[in-house]
Amino acid sequence: MSALKIGQAGIATSVQDSGRAGTLQLGIPPSGAMDPYALVSGQYQLGHTHDEAALEMAYADLIATSTHDCHIVITGAPVTLTIDDQGVDPRTIHAINAGQTLRIRATTMGIYSYLHISGGIATEPVFQSRSTSPREVLGGLEGRYLRDGDTLPIGPTQSAPVRDDPLLELSPPGSTLTLRFVPGFQHDDFSPTAISALLETEFSVTPSANRMGVKLSGGDLHSGIESLLSEATCYGAIQVPPDGAPIVLLNDRQTVGGYPKPGAVISSDCARLAQARPGQKIRFVSRSAAEADRIQWLERHYVETRLQ
Amino acid sequence: MRLVLEADPAPELTRTLLAIEKSAQRHFNGSLTDSVIGYATLTLFFKPLQFQRDRVEAWLLEQVDLTKSDTHYDPSAAVILPVLYHPSVAPDLEWLADEKGLSIDDVIALHSETTYFAYATGFAPGFCYLGTLPHQLVTPRLATPRNKVPAGSVAIADLQTAVYPCESPGGWRLIGQCPQPLFDLNNTPANLLSVGDTVRFEPMSEADFYAMGGAR
Repeated sequence: MSALKIGQAGIATSVQDSGRAGTLQLGIPPSGAMDPYALVSGQYQLGHTHDEAALEMAYADLIATSTHDCHIVITGAPVTLTIDDQGVDPRTIHAINAGQTLRIRATTMGIYSYLHISGGIATEPVFQSRSTSPREVLGGLEGRYLRDGDTLPIGPTQSAPVRDDPLLELSPPGSTLTLRFVPGFQHDDFSPTAISALLETEFSVTPSANRMGVKLSGGDLHSGIESLLSEATCYGAIQVPPDGAPIVLLNDRQTVGGYPKPGAVISSDCARLAQARPGQKIRFVSRSAAEADRIQWLERHYVETRLQ
Repeated sequence: MRLVLEADPAPELTRTLLAIEKSAQRHFNGSLTDSVIGYATLTLFFKPLQFQRDRVEAWLLEQVDLTKSDTHYDPSAAVILPVLYHPSVAPDLEWLADEKGLSIDDVIALHSETTYFAYATGFAPGFCYLGTLPHQLVTPRLATPRNKVPAGSVAIADLQTAVYPCESPGGWRLIGQCPQPLFDLNNTPANLLSVGDTVRFEPMSEADFYAMGGAR
């Protein structure tokens, strides 16, 4: 079988597709690409229409060799790319010959980059998804981040690359990233002081940011809520632990939690938050559920026109 | 979309939530991707843009009225979980007995002679929140959670008890070890316990524990 040999894995490289559904009640998070738009862009460019899995690289530092002729494209956080030590344009589709070695390195922007290979990474799906959930040791390659020396199976190529998709390049964040959120049902239980802190504080992304969630500093959102019975968490939930510093929950979140939540960040802004490096300034603005739906319709259109 | 019932957790409340969940799975078949029951909540997850908020909300409120009168509940037999209660595998057992002025045998009797109800699943695959712990054993979580709680640890916190299905960080007090796996991908369903189950813990000997593969 065709394979990709990993010479150097980097700090947190894992197999991801768009994630799994239907497993929350088992305590298994959806996982999936932290930047779903970057995933879709790469799938589109290679003509993948079956949610083919890619390699997600956090702060990419990857060396890999393909055992077969294939096409690749890299999406998400910008990188530098060499093929057999020759520097090439990292933002376009490349034809790779069997035995050629790729070296992919992060630049100074964003966190998650995606290496897509024609045919997709063909590890065994778990609950209909190849996404890795490292905490649950599920999916991907043995449920874990890749190590130096790993070999990944690659599926048969069934389609020709389509075209470059420059529209999906990561735009450099301005000085402040604005996260739109929809107030949840505990919103009104927070004190007015906490809510105005949420809306008026300029927060910063802390180094406690990973696939589970992103912790922010700068504001104290003490809820005044004594205790809460454990309940489901959702993508983008703004969770406030007793120390008052909010955590926005992302793909590998725990499926239930007992911390109060004033609301949830809309999904398109979650992807932008996932790409934000520590130190990035963050502000929150409140949006109605109807407005969030409208934004999602626009996104849906955007994604579907790429996967038809 | 989340339904919150303004009531204290109780098996009756959970059974109502289970009944509404079942109806929702039928009614929204195709657009509903996940549903999660909490102590007093039912959270429904839909495919993006495949639901209308006001309609789902109206439907849910209607179900609350309809389902309240549902008494056709057939309690299933309790799931029995064997446990070795021994300080060698339970770092908080002696501490708990001292703290509560009980003997270790008293703690074991109190914990294992209670029938528990499964209120919620989550936190980790196979993890199930069980209640209600006898009041003599009620104790708060550790101020600083342990970095590693071994798989199979039988634990208590506040009014709850649970078994850690896999090694994970955790702040609950550890009073025993259960060699019975709670989550196995080769089984259907993969999880041993589901919301609405009743559960009992059964003390086992060290010999039986090690014979069952409990060496953790």
